Amino acid sequence: MSSPEQVAVCAIAVSKVVSTIEGDLSILDAVSLEINAGESVAIVGESGSGKTTLLGILAGLDIPSSGQVWFEGNDITAMNEEQRAQVRAASVGFVFQSFQLLDSLNALENVMLPGELRGDGAVRKEATAILKRVGLGNRITHYPRQLSGGEQQRVALARAFASKPSVLFADEPTGNLDTRTGEDIIDLLFEMNREFNTTLILVTHDKKLADRCDRSLVLSAGSLVFESRDVEPGSGGSINSVEQTGL
Amino acid sequence: MKPTLLLSLLWRDWRSGELSLLLSALVVAVTTVVTISLFVDRLQSALIAESSTVLGADRLISGSVPIPGSFTRAASDYGLLQSNTISFSSMVFAGNLNQLVAVKAVQKNYPLRGSIHTSQQAFGPVNIQTSGPERGEVWMDSRLFPALAIRPGDSVAVGEAEFVAQRAIIQEPGRGTSFMDLAPRLLMHIDDIDKTRVVQPGSRISYTVLLRGSEENLQKLHTQLSAELNTRFRWRSVRDSAPSIRSSLDRAENFLLLGGLLSVLLAGVAVALSARRYAFRHFDHVAILKTLGATPGQIQKGFIALLVVLGTIATVLGLLGGGLLHFVMLFALQSYLPGDLPAPGFGPFVLGVVTGFICLFSFALPPLFDLKEISPMRVIRRDLDVSQRSKILSYGCATVGSLTLLVWYSGSLKLTLYTLVGFASVMIVFGGLSLLLLRTSHVVGTRASSFVRLALANLQRHYKGTVVQILTFSIAIMMLLILILLRTALIEEWRSQVPENAPDHFVMNISTHDVTAVQQLLEKNTYYKGQLFPMTRGRVVRVNDISATQWENLSAGDGAGVPPLRGERNLSWTHELPLNNQVVAGQWWANDEPKHYVSVEESYALAAGLSLGDRLQVDIGGIFVSAVIRNIRKVNWESMQPNFFILFSPSTVTEISATYMTSFHLGKRGKQFLNELLNQYPTVSVLEIDRVIEQIQSIISRVSQAIELILVLVLASGSMVLIASIQAGSDERLREHALLRALGGSKGLIRGALLVEFMVLGFSAGFIATVGAELSVAVLQSQVFRLDSQLHPWIWLIGPLMGLITVTMVGMFGTRHLVATPPITVLRNL
Ligand SMILES: Nc1ncnc2c1ncn2[C@@H]1O[C@H](COP(=O)(O)OP(=O)(O)O)[C@@H](O)[C@H]1O
Ligand SMILES: [Mg+2]
Repeated sequence: MSSPEQVAVCAIAVSKVVSTIEGDLSILDAVSLEINAGESVAIVGESGSGKTTLLGILAGLDIPSSGQVWFEGNDITAMNEEQRAQVRAASVGFVFQSFQLLDSLNALENVMLPGELRGDGAVRKEATAILKRVGLGNRITHYPRQLSGGEQQRVALARAFASKPSVLFADEPTGNLDTRTGEDIIDLLFEMNREFNTTLILVTHDKKLADRCDRSLVLSAGSLVFESRDVEPGSGGSINSVEQTGL
Repeated sequence: MKPTLLLSLLWRDWRSGELSLLLSALVVAVTTVVTISLFVDRLQSALIAESSTVLGADRLISGSVPIPGSFTRAASDYGLLQSNTISFSSMVFAGNLNQLVAVKAVQKNYPLRGSIHTSQQAFGPVNIQTSGPERGEVWMDSRLFPALAIRPGDSVAVGEAEFVAQRAIIQEPGRGTSFMDLAPRLLMHIDDIDKTRVVQPGSRISYTVLLRGSEENLQKLHTQLSAELNTRFRWRSVRDSAPSIRSSLDRAENFLLLGGLLSVLLAGVAVALSARRYAFRHFDHVAILKTLGATPGQIQKGFIALLVVLGTIATVLGLLGGGLLHFVMLFALQSYLPGDLPAPGFGPFVLGVVTGFICLFSFALPPLFDLKEISPMRVIRRDLDVSQRSKILSYGCATVGSLTLLVWYSGSLKLTLYTLVGFASVMIVFGGLSLLLLRTSHVVGTRASSFVRLALANLQRHYKGTVVQILTFSIAIMMLLILILLRTALIEEWRSQVPENAPDHFVMNISTHDVTAVQQLLEKNTYYKGQLFPMTRGRVVRVNDISATQWENLSAGDGAGVPPLRGERNLSWTHELPLNNQVVAGQWWANDEPKHYVSVEESYALAAGLSLGDRLQVDIGGIFVSAVIRNIRKVNWESMQPNFFILFSPSTVTEISATYMTSFHLGKRGKQFLNELLNQYPTVSVLEIDRVIEQIQSIISRVSQAIELILVLVLASGSMVLIASIQAGSDERLREHALLRALGGSKGLIRGALLVEFMVLGFSAGFIATVGAELSVAVLQSQVFRLDSQLHPWIWLIGPLMGLITVTMVGMFGTRHLVATPPITVLRNL
């Protein structure tokens, strides 16, 4: 086991049950995991297996029905929404399948937004720089609807890294993109991840993409069935032994 | 959130058009309130000013002893203009002829409001005088000139003094509708009273001081004097003096109030709808902001601040707009309004500001509060909805907000209560009816053509939204219908108060043997219906076993606006209860009742403390008649008909020789006929009320104009609601229809489906609105406006049709781009 300072995110017996018209539906069933700082971890599984739900809970966007989630040494399941929001503002970045840019803001304004929310000054320079970094230096005043899907996802990446998060959550970031563009985005994602030394938690159903992470967690019907360590050299981070969790 | 960030978010929202509907709904709310209240404010002061000319002053204080110096000093302290008058009965002599007259001695500055219409000849062309007669001259009613066989400029005597009868009075202030008891008028200068020597200790004299000044100061004076006024002096405003004008004003005020009220509610609904849409469109934005670390507190503060900024902008625009619009209205109504309208007060502007913010916070804030509750998970799962708690909060806020507005705005709990009860019950019925209508349209739908089926399927699929939309439309249409119905009822009522060809002249004192000849003359020259009333003059001398004087001292009742028991007055007798009279206690007598009975008017009985079974002894020219009070009558004084305080059963007065009175309509036929009549029958006297009728009609027509204008304003806020409501539903329509077009639906199909959809919505809303309007109007008419209510068959046609046409038009207009733009643009923008 790693020492607590090294652990970025830790889930203890996390379950999620939602009530529907047909009765209670169990989406996650006692999921436990530990992700160390600087690691890149893929969560894989079939569509509907609960990946997104798990990601949301790990990131503090949602709360589990039972179990705990510790984020950098704090139990975020015990926090209220206000406090969780502060944690997100300080340490979390997101990239979503559907980009989630604000339509009414242009590229630059979208990237500046997290800094503005935190009340930082002089966010403009940094935002401009990072937009250049993702290759959109000449598109900074364009609105989302004037940008292609790949370009929108680049803006989303720029926004995610602009706040220098310690953990980046990505939910099928290439799901809405063609293969070629998807690969470009993933290259960019991993490059920046290394540059900013961010912990990466990536949800995907793409085996090739999962292989680029340090290790993969496999979800099936709401349970973690398998954890694999990938031994690709040079990917950095600590290496865990293969172990069986859950069923 | 930092204010700069907030402002830039607001600015970005504005730039993208997100805020324009909410802002315009708010601006319309404030504008409507400001316009209506400014206009009502100024119209009221104009009406009061105009009505004051009826009184000759803003207020009167009168009593049977001289007005104390403390009163006049207090009035001076408040900076009020004053003018004293003294009234008494006397005889006027010319040669060997004489007439009983009602003398009014006035100061030079009489009247303080309005003018005296006089003429150089009896019944001649009008000359307007703004001050009273000089010393040494008198002005007299036209009818006195033929009666005394003189012309203006000849001399007459009152008591021991000689005067020049300078002018004929055509119309004077203070001659309201209680004309029946008045002898013809003689105006003289107040300083001439002494030399007539007719005013002796013990004579019946009425002292009056006329007051003119600001409403505020007048009311302060009233408050200060109220304790002393009670016993011996009466404080009178135009409302006490001219009942027909009073009730017109009251009803008009109520109506304008109601109009304002309804338009505020409508605007509130529009604000709520557009705020809901704004919030709805921001669910995703807020979810994104939350994933980026915005806290619920930041979101909430941010949106409150946004509302404050928005409210301030809307209020400023609304105040400007309202001010401007009211000038436009004044300009449009120029010819109907007096030239020197008093400047508007601050009240309407304050009202506008407060209304704007109450609207904003009770209708717009709750939906925005929902935003705080949005789960950031919505970023990944869009169907996550708002918790039930905030919905309750939202409806609660809107209810409390509207209640506050209603009570505060109407200042009348009663009006508010009726409006609310009507509103609530109609809403419940509406909901049920809408669901019912949706079900029946299903049956029709299965065998209809493709776009009809598409439209009906659409309506049924979103049946909750459909019901809400039908309700919203119904409310808007219902309010319009209510106002239209009430307006019609009010104006009809006013018209019927002074029907066409209603008598505008009375002929009194026709002796028995002249009756047929006079009637023939009238038939030839006027519009004459031939009604005849026997009449004589007399005074009550005893009640039961005590003298009338004693009785009056014993039972000082509530006598505002009612003549004293003992005064000499016109008496009449009849077998049948006269028109416009209603027995409120006791019974009307049988056709050939042998017993000696008398009937007295309600307020007169109340003031004199008379009740059923009391015995009245009346002195009629030296003959004493005694009768028991058999019934008490309510008299409609607003009707320009001969009305009597005291009526006898015919058997009571067999020994009395009567003269007769009749009435005719002269209209524009020319006053010269009056001279002809009076020359042929010098003993009869003519009473003109055509000027009074004219005055009432002019006030009524102005008020009707105002009411129509209010209707236009309410129409504007009603359309706003329609637009907001269609906008609110248009996102979903947009998406679905774009999808349909992407799937191959033709423009024609979409347009047809939309058309049918709006027609069904509009027709249902119109039908429901009609039901609601009929119910509400029935209640309002009987409870607030005190009018008879009846069904209105025509609105059952107009209502649904109006709904169908307006909703379809506004709807098709509001969704025109939906059909015109390529589907991909629509899909991408969502
Ligand atoms: N709030 C909810 N209500 C009902 N069902 C839900 C809810 N959230 C998730 N689900 C269901 O739980 C399952 C897992 O969803 P999700 O986490 O999105 O899976 P994945 O991202 O692996 O495709 C799906 O079947 C989804 O429909
Ligand atoms: Mg998913």
